[in-house]
Amino acid sequence: MPDVAGPEELNRVRSTVMAALRDKADAAEAVKVVCLACVELLPVDGASISVMTDEQHRATVYASDEIVSRIENLQFSLGEGPCFEAFNTQRPVLVADLARALALAWPAFAEEMIEQPVAAIFAFPLQNGAINLGAMDLYRRLPGWLSPQEVALALALVDIATTALLVLQLRALDEDDGEGESWLVLSTERKQVHQATGILIAAFGIPAEQALARLRGYAFATGRLVDDVARDIVTRRIAPTELDQ
Amino acid sequence: MDSTTPSSAQRETRLVQAFVELADTLVDDYDVVDILYQLTQRCVQLLGAAAAGLMLSDQRGSLTAVASSTEEARLLELFQLQTDEGPCLDCVRTGEPVLVSDLSTAAERWPNFVPQAVLQGFLSVHALPLRLRRETIGALNLFGRQPGPMPEQDLQVARALADTATIGILHERAVRRGEVLTEQLQTALNSRITIEQAKGVLAYAGHLDMDQAFQALRGYARSHRARLSEIAYQLVKGVLRPEEFLSPGRTSSSPPETVGVRHPEPPGRRPGVGHDRLGTSPPRRATSGSAPTPAP
Repeated sequence: MPDVAGPEELNRVRSTVMAALRDKADAAEAVKVVCLACVELLPVDGASISVMTDEQHRATVYASDEIVSRIENLQFSLGEGPCFEAFNTQRPVLVADLARALALAWPAFAEEMIEQPVAAIFAFPLQNGAINLGAMDLYRRLPGWLSPQEVALALALVDIATTALLVLQLRALDEDDGEGESWLVLSTERKQVHQATGILIAAFGIPAEQALARLRGYAFATGRLVDDVARDIVTRRIAPTELDQ
Repeated sequence: MDSTTPSSAQRETRLVQAFVELADTLVDDYDVVDILYQLTQRCVQLLGAAAAGLMLSDQRGSLTAVASSTEEARLLELFQLQTDEGPCLDCVRTGEPVLVSDLSTAAERWPNFVPQAVLQGFLSVHALPLRLRRETIGALNLFGRQPGPMPEQDLQVARALADTATIGILHERAVRRGEVLTEQLQTALNSRITIEQAKGVLAYAGHLDMDQAFQALRGYARSHRARLSEIAYQLVKGVLRPEEFLSPGRTSSSPPETVGVRHPEPPGRRPGVGHDRLGTSPPRRATSGSAPTPAP
């Protein structure tokens, strides 16, 4: 197996990010840790993270160098590019050799890249189910694939960035409820949290992120665990109306 | 294996259906999640297994329980992941089938797993690798309520189903060159989260339990020949309305259903509803007709 960073390094990145958030770091400081970790641990030259709701509403939160900053700006001004594709399709977009790639969904952006020292681009969506937060772009100067292990590592780093942005969006660390960010684990094992989120979406006609925030707010206000409240909602022991604000 | 095992004629029909359905899904644009769910369902229906579960491995070696026919099976798989032992884990690690016809004799090998499985009423486990050549990407796990070896014929069917799904998963990866399995797994896992959210939406709007909500979701995706994850996403985002998934007359004020909802949508399309609203899905052929469809 090639030499790819192990779980210790990932845990180090995760705890650095979470510690920064506890110290009231803003989004830029938190995702900077992740971007720099990408550059350090992966064979890429630059990394950036942007938050967006659609092609019109987006902002680069952090860019590790001038080139990746230009990559973001170009995508934004053209309204196309790998980060939008990753965001819209909810899948990573991995282009190992821009010069040889066929049928790209963003021809104008690809054209612009010819003049840049950018040979490969890897874009990953930041998402939790139907909650889309943005995308991370990685670039390298020389063409070449990320190995499966490197993609796995990139995905783990993306999860850390996603968790950080969710924490900030839901202001989850503003109140110390003893759970910290643990309930935000992006996991299918917390099925009932996702189901309860869906129930609240339907009950109040609100978007997923607000439903999740309401679930969490209720748990905090009643001094209970998010998982327990979710279970009670799913099993109909708590009516959604009790979470009305 | 027990009295619920179908007769051989029924079984043959179902077997053909299962492979046709799998092949059909693979030819169309498909969801990995959907394939895996189908696989666990078919194993229960065709093989007399009491429950089936499926684990996939990413390339960092971590395993995830991605699909299961029942909640019990899911919990057993999670339990194996938590305690880091069990037949499914051994199967993935070795790439070889792990066949345990009587769990009560295996307590030494898996001191944590066996008591837990027995407690849940499972007395046999047959774990088959999802493997293509040298690469093992996961395991299919069949849990039985009676001790006893699985008949050779059933094992063959299980292997063939697992192989078909494996080829499908790895094929998509080959087609989309850069998309390594791990990425697929992540996309699949995120789809799972979206599907759970969508189940919640339907459960509330239609007074369904979560299984019924899932069936309604899946029935809608099938009848519109759209990806399950795409449909779930559109529902959670409010692009599709819950009413479109629910039978006429079913409203949020109706009492909870006691019978399962299978396909609330009629097979035909209603104008203005369906795949033409799904901007990202390519048009599909309207029927799965009898003419062979060439693979792309």
